[in-house]
Amino acid sequence: MKFLAGENIAELLERLSSRSEVWAPRELRGSGGTVMFERWRSGDPLDLEHFASISAKDMVLPRTEKLFGFSYAFGGAAVGNPFGTPAEPAAGTPAEPAAGARTAGESIRITAAEPAGNVVLFGARACDAKALDVLDALFGQTEGKGYNDPQYRARRAGLTVITLACLTSDPACFCSSFENGTAEKAGSDLILYPVDGGFLAEAVTPKGESIIESGVNSRDKDDSAREPGDGDPETGEAASGPTLFEESGLEMPVLAVTAMVEGLEGLRQKLAAIFDDLEFWQAETEKCISCGYCTYACPTCHCFNIHDEMRGDREGERLRSWDACMFHLYTQETSGHNPRPTLAHRYRNRINHKFSYYPENQGEILCTGCGRCIRGCPVGLDIRDVLRQAVEASAGPGEGGDR
Amino acid sequence: MSDIVSIIQRVLGEVDLVLGWTATGAGGVAAPDRFQTAAEAERAVFNATCVHNLAVHLPRLKDKTVGIVAKGCDSRSVAQLIQEREIDRDRVKVIGVHGLGGMIDVRKIWRLHGYGVPVDARIDSLFIDGREVDRKEYLRQKCLGCRDTVPVVHDKLFEAQGPPITGIAEAATVEAILPGTGLGASLTAAEAMSAAGEDESRPLSELFANMNPTERRLFWREQYSRCIRCYACREACPMCFCRDVCIMQTTDPHWTGAGVDAGEAEMMQLIRVNHLAGRCTGCGECERACPVGIPLMLLMNEQNQVIEDLFGYRAGTDPEARPPLLTFDIKGDSRSEK
Repeated sequence: MKFLAGENIAELLERLSSRSEVWAPRELRGSGGTVMFERWRSGDPLDLEHFASISAKDMVLPRTEKLFGFSYAFGGAAVGNPFGTPAEPAAGTPAEPAAGARTAGESIRITAAEPAGNVVLFGARACDAKALDVLDALFGQTEGKGYNDPQYRARRAGLTVITLACLTSDPACFCSSFENGTAEKAGSDLILYPVDGGFLAEAVTPKGESIIESGVNSRDKDDSAREPGDGDPETGEAASGPTLFEESGLEMPVLAVTAMVEGLEGLRQKLAAIFDDLEFWQAETEKCISCGYCTYACPTCHCFNIHDEMRGDREGERLRSWDACMFHLYTQETSGHNPRPTLAHRYRNRINHKFSYYPENQGEILCTGCGRCIRGCPVGLDIRDVLRQAVEASAGPGEGGDR
Repeated sequence: MSDIVSIIQRVLGEVDLVLGWTATGAGGVAAPDRFQTAAEAERAVFNATCVHNLAVHLPRLKDKTVGIVAKGCDSRSVAQLIQEREIDRDRVKVIGVHGLGGMIDVRKIWRLHGYGVPVDARIDSLFIDGREVDRKEYLRQKCLGCRDTVPVVHDKLFEAQGPPITGIAEAATVEAILPGTGLGASLTAAEAMSAAGEDESRPLSELFANMNPTERRLFWREQYSRCIRCYACREACPMCFCRDVCIMQTTDPHWTGAGVDAGEAEMMQLIRVNHLAGRCTGCGECERACPVGIPLMLLMNEQNQVIEDLFGYRAGTDPEARPPLLTFDIKGDSRSEK
């Protein structure tokens, strides 16, 4: 395995940032110790010791992203359509304005959002990287699964993940409850294992290998839109300078083992058994204030809202932004009916989505045990307690076996 | 001799449930809980990690009669909710906690000693991982200079018998509120550093007094740039009870943009601050719930001070008071020109 000296981290990031945006964890000024993944620029400090308060999911699902811009114009047939669906009426259909069209002779111009660039995420943890792998299944990045989400896929394809292996954990961590725990490699391109004086580097994907080889992002090699003078991709000119990764015979360090939640096997059936037990869900959510922190900090929660932001009344943007199933408005219907009227209904959905519906639909548990929802909860609600009590309740009187 | 368990048990004879705390949080810190029977109340605790303002639950429990354990600051939220007729005084029994010596900032302990370290935070002493430390070092910022040691409304009183809170610290300092900031860099403008002076031990109010509007703007821009629009500030606020008809999320009319750039976030926060003018009781739950650590109370405290200076009014100190910003009476006694 190769060795990367600790003092060469800055040089590595420097090289990576010449071709990609680099995002890395750092403590935010004025935040009372909040660590977040932030855009790294030359000379910026890093915090590789503390766990980031908010996950790195906005690398692939930005808090708010533009899907496209639109404007209304008179005359002309200037209807751009970035999505490939027919813009003209099918043959034989009279070309009448659709119901609700603004004015006869008016057309809508659509402008595509700027394409996503290359990003290197540095200092993610195994749970952060695994979360990307879990989301890939839904957003169409995993072969043959999920929905084709072009924006997500473009971001994901341009993302390189350099993961920092965990030698320690804190009492909120529970990734060891799942298959591989801290040794999880899915979602990572390169994994750095802390050792004396630096890190052992293990490439998981070709992207990771190319970083070890040249210190630059592999995607740059076939990036035809490079600016002149960016260096020669064949000779790796941009990566000139001292070798960062050296041969090493150092031993692999021992990874952390976190707290575990037992009895997660067959959880789907167990959750089904207590689905209608609203009193159980009410008891679990008594102290919850539905602030939504858990969903926003979570690396796998991905619910979003789509809305139009107008500038004046003739042009605007269609945006997608994070939303949270813990909010009443999330399922509020136009009629006034709300299928999840209480906090108990909403929290039940959150747990079922993570541990029942998503596994059923996408084959992955929608939780990687990062513990952010536990660490940051303003009222000390612990999802592990809920899971344990769910397991217990489902095994209670009646066994719930006939469901 | 009365302890919190027996007081709660007594109150349970008169209400459906009592809001209080159990020591079930990480490392044994307090987490909110509710008790419906005397047996359940056996697990109740009151210690210096009971920071949560339980009044936030009251508007959500209108169909019940509720007992609530309330610190002095929390009791102001209860009083304000009564004043705004959001809750019915007759349906709430307040167990006021009197004589606290300030509450402990658990996040600070976690930051310095690791998340989940065992904490024994008594009213008058603090043990972290079994070792006694100086509790003054870990007091919550908002408790320094507390003016609300006596609960405004209460039906029962729980004497906590903590150390006197006055004289603990002068006032919040830059370094305390914005730890290790190198504040100048955070403003992306060298002039802010000269405004702040090199000395981070100076009071924050002084820092802001010395900032010109542009510098303040830069400061807030940087702070708001990390807002993720999660609305935890709103949800944690006892006075933000509009909740599901909040102006931030209405689509028709579409009052506020939903983007997360600093401008949109700033607009949202300024609207929120303004909606709480004369109503904010300064409990600080918005700031505590903020996942990205925006010092929301800096602005809120400033506004609260302006309202106190202009109208001689502090929200939540009198359930019967006429709120100055909901009253227009040009010759009235609610407005004192200075």
